[in-house]
Amino acid sequence: MYRTEDVLSTLGMVRQHKLDVRTVTMGIDLLPCASPDLGTLQLRIRERLLRFAGRLRAVCEEVESRYGIPIVNRRIAVTPIARVAASQSAEGYLAVAKTLDEVAGEVGVDLVGGFTALVQKGWTDGDRRLISALPDVLSTTKRVCSSVNVGTTAAGINMDAILAIGHVLKQTAERTADHDGFGCAKLVVFANAPTDNPFMAGAFHGEGEADCAVNIGVSGPGVVKAAVEDLLTVNPKATLGEIAEEIKSTAFRVTRVGELIGREVASRLGVAFGIVDLSLAPTPQVGDSVGEILQAMGVVRLGAPGSTAALAMLNDAVKKGGSFASSSVGGLSGAFVAVSEDSALAEAVERGDLTLAKLEAMTAVCSVGLDMIAVPGDTDAETLAALIADEVSIGVINHKTTAVRVIPVPGKRAGDRAVFGGLFGEMVILPIHAASGSAAFVHHGGRIPAPLSSLRN
Amino acid sequence: MPTYIVTVTAADAVGIVNSVTGTIFRQGGNVIELSQTVLRDFFTIILAVEFPEAKNTRTLAAAVIAEGSRFDLTVAVIEVPVEAVPPPVADGERFILTVLGNDHPGNIHRIAGRLSQRGVNIVDLHARADGPRFSLVTEVFLPHDLSPRELRADLEEFGRELGLECFVQHENIFLATTEPSPVRVGASSSREGAAVVPH
Repeated sequence: MYRTEDVLSTLGMVRQHKLDVRTVTMGIDLLPCASPDLGTLQLRIRERLLRFAGRLRAVCEEVESRYGIPIVNRRIAVTPIARVAASQSAEGYLAVAKTLDEVAGEVGVDLVGGFTALVQKGWTDGDRRLISALPDVLSTTKRVCSSVNVGTTAAGINMDAILAIGHVLKQTAERTADHDGFGCAKLVVFANAPTDNPFMAGAFHGEGEADCAVNIGVSGPGVVKAAVEDLLTVNPKATLGEIAEEIKSTAFRVTRVGELIGREVASRLGVAFGIVDLSLAPTPQVGDSVGEILQAMGVVRLGAPGSTAALAMLNDAVKKGGSFASSSVGGLSGAFVAVSEDSALAEAVERGDLTLAKLEAMTAVCSVGLDMIAVPGDTDAETLAALIADEVSIGVINHKTTAVRVIPVPGKRAGDRAVFGGLFGEMVILPIHAASGSAAFVHHGGRIPAPLSSLRN
Repeated sequence: MPTYIVTVTAADAVGIVNSVTGTIFRQGGNVIELSQTVLRDFFTIILAVEFPEAKNTRTLAAAVIAEGSRFDLTVAVIEVPVEAVPPPVADGERFILTVLGNDHPGNIHRIAGRLSQRGVNIVDLHARADGPRFSLVTEVFLPHDLSPRELRADLEEFGRELGLECFVQHENIFLATTEPSPVRVGASSSREGAAVVPH
């Protein structure tokens, strides 16, 4: 017999604190679909996606019913399309994106990731054409998500690609101006991108992965916050070490639920179970916020000194709990500070407590990076590129993943409100100080060399 | 081997288990399963005991009472039929049902009645009232023709009528979150989860 306290505690995680499986993401290798003929390529992609993911939705519903744990999103991540469609024109890439979009709709997934190019060291003609197609893709498809890896610790940083993306962001924002530039929310620029990340918009099925694998993104900001609050109710004088232990044990339980669901889904589909990504991913709902966890820990005004330390401790404790829980932890596995998607962070921006500079500092100690940041619409491409370069350099130098999802909101200025809706939330637009002050640096182009891996002080 | 179910209740005191198992040992019996708890300061124990040869149930009960006379034991002994009793829910799946709400006379009876109507077998149950608050946690086996979704919907509606909240969750959730051993997926995954994706 289970202890009643344990049963009620687990039940409380689901019932009161919004523990769910945020995403079941099926990674599918599309390399076997490659063909110089566009029609053949599209047909093969369609057939392969239907073959692997045709039952994904039904199986997720079966498992949801069996375990009573909500599976919020079902998604697909594919091989970087720049590899699959390398010989296609920009129009061909757009056609492939539309195929992905259509099939994703048919199999009942809300997003499909992997319209991706890996250009950290250099870029092929195919990579260039994919990147040039992005404004069309992101403004005319509903479900297709894109990512571009522009830097790694081993290769350095491709500044030419970053500047190109600065222009892509401007064009994409203009083409989705009626939705506050929302197209840009479907594009992630990475350093050290993981190959098995289940979270969108940056998911893709990378090198070294199997034909098909089920990856799980669990999320439990509400659960972790409740655990911290419960501890401090019982013991208001708990030390930070004790708080970290509480977070760690909670992360253990959250991760275990994710692995259970993932293994069950994979088993029923007859495919490999990949990883569980135990990232704390917020939603705009109150109580489902990483910012609120930091507030529960005592950083009442997010962005105040201490915010970075608290986030570092949270991120580390989550990783420790997850790593003990499962040998299949992967993806990003940390705390997301996705500003518009996190009501507490968005409020802190609105109050002026949380600035872009502080956010950048915080991203040095957590996953992922400058995520869902709305900036003024008149920000030039060079400044966007420089912003990306700063964040990417944090990842490259520190041997970690960082990413940027930034939206220059057309026609709006700092202090105006950008509304993206649904899980993407809303926020007051952040000012960029000294904008346009580094265009010459960006225009030098080329590659920032890979960093030294010794003398690490 | 003849097997007997022995139940003993008494006001809780130090030494009751020692007394009861001592009597059984001296009578030649071997305890093959035992469950004991203390409920509101009242001791209760149930034992399954094998003997090399048949025992008179009244004589055995009298011996337990006599040797534990200082505890004022209430004892019942019944013989387990030799024929194998078919399990009430063959090969079902184990779920944890949790019920929370206000305490009312008849809560447990009504819940058990509803479960019985749906063919759900209760294998372990703990319930208590803390002032006006009622909680019940029970391990149940669902018959194959009843899906957890169906039972959940049924009990939620039933619970609303009584002012109770009912939650049905698979045992594996609790195993995963409370034990550090490797995560396991349930038996039904192998039954229903044959590979469907052609490789």
